[in-house]
Amino acid sequence: MTRRELAAVLGSVTSLATVRAQDAPANQPEDLNAAAKEQLHKNSETLSKFDLPMSTEPAFLFKA
Amino acid sequence: MATEFTDDIFFATIGELNARLKSKDFSAVELVRAFARRLEQLGPRYNALALPLTDTAIRRAADVDKELKRERYRGPLQGIPFGAKDLLSYAGHPTTWGARPYAAQVFDSSATVIDKLEKTGAVLVGKLAMVELAGGGGYRSAAASMFGPGLNPWDRTRWSGGSSSGSGSAVAAGLVPFAIGSETSGSILTPAAFCGITGLRPTYGLVSRHGAMALSWTMDKLGPMCRSAEDCGLVLAVIAGGDTNDPGSAHKSFYYVPQYYRASKDLRIGYAPVDFAEWAQPATRPAFEQALAAIRETGAKLIETKLPDLPYGALTSTIISAEGASVFEPLIKSGKVDELADPKQIAGLKAGLEISANDYLKAMRIRAIVQQKIRRLFADVDVLLAPSRFGPAPKISEPLDKHANDATPKDLGMSALIPAGNLAGLPALSLPCGFADGLPVAIQLVGPAFSENQLLALGKDFQTRTDWHRKRPTAG
Repeated sequence: MTRRELAAVLGSVTSLATVRAQDAPANQPEDLNAAAKEQLHKNSETLSKFDLPMSTEPAFLFKA
Repeated sequence: MATEFTDDIFFATIGELNARLKSKDFSAVELVRAFARRLEQLGPRYNALALPLTDTAIRRAADVDKELKRERYRGPLQGIPFGAKDLLSYAGHPTTWGARPYAAQVFDSSATVIDKLEKTGAVLVGKLAMVELAGGGGYRSAAASMFGPGLNPWDRTRWSGGSSSGSGSAVAAGLVPFAIGSETSGSILTPAAFCGITGLRPTYGLVSRHGAMALSWTMDKLGPMCRSAEDCGLVLAVIAGGDTNDPGSAHKSFYYVPQYYRASKDLRIGYAPVDFAEWAQPATRPAFEQALAAIRETGAKLIETKLPDLPYGALTSTIISAEGASVFEPLIKSGKVDELADPKQIAGLKAGLEISANDYLKAMRIRAIVQQKIRRLFADVDVLLAPSRFGPAPKISEPLDKHANDATPKDLGMSALIPAGNLAGLPALSLPCGFADGLPVAIQLVGPAFSENQLLALGKDFQTRTDWHRKRPTAG
């Protein structure tokens, strides 16, 4: 890694602190964790309402 | 006499640059040096630059010049500078994935797409900024990146889009002739639309992801972000193809031959009027009406259609969250996830670990239905057409989910074409089609799997009738 590349990376990390300080949303982490779990719960409920034939296999293939 | 590098060169297409290299208007070293310096100088203005590679690039360009001197031609990308999203590894150099916990990460081999581009003589001049971890946990701030918010060259108070933020703004500002981006669900189409450039999301499996950060193994794709549909075809022809190092590879080849595909006048294009009349924000509607008129002028038959009513949002969210949480489990469990810039993303990644196997499998089974029903849709139409995004780039100062609870039209039309197309693994092409409030807007064309040549043929026809892709922001 050249000094220029290292400086670019470190410079970016330094700017992160500024960005976080200026733009961090007001929500508390606890609220956001609860909201994220709530969203997954809603997704689960939406999917559970879908009438799925037993014969339907998942949309991925395992290749040996 | 040395060539003066003006905007006519910085905003030229690959074909135009290639012709000038061959006619010796300038050497590859001169071209690469000019772009690399411009990227170093102006990239930070848009938070677009992750890593300058100027010295390495000039050395590579010197090798290209030696080849050109011997008249050894490798193809249209020979000597053309490019940028790569910082989720692609480049041997011996930092690859941060836009995320602070990975700031010092260095791989000892390069991504297959970069290897392929270098073998054809293209020259990597810099790694480009991105939303941290491609936004897999969900994010609500444009600043969700260790590089800061991606700033739009058309208006720096606006977002460049994500997650391929730097790729979008670097091409739009004439800092690179083309860039490589990635899309899991919207990450090429969104920055391409917001920045007024042409972006191609290839069919899942057509382009190797070896050496790219994984977010969702079953949905990740890499693709070109360029000045025109023609350029996207030229780049795709180089980066596509089978790769035993990518378990998702379709092992298919791609030759860019749009001339052998159906003329626009013979195409049936499916669209939903509600997308353009109600879903599109009012300021964007005149541009979209003009785009529809330009499509009609091609002689293509426009047919009203809509997507099957399926839970696209819940499916993409469940699949990306589950696969992403598995990929980043070590990051999450080590606590280093808290070093990410966006609190919503941190919460989303943590919650992803709690998705049950049943929910993931159910989502993947419903996904099979999505693929089946969309395949049937293509029995009646050849291409689907919709706005790439319903509004122009949002302000960076506003939460990205600000409009999430606004009233929406009852008719879904094809409003979910981005998640639907990604779930089905289909190719899409985003084409600039005008402006709203001084910001670019775009349409997307989606086709059946491996229909890239047909989409590019139609896109090329559209761009011979319009000049939106030729518009330039005032960079500098």
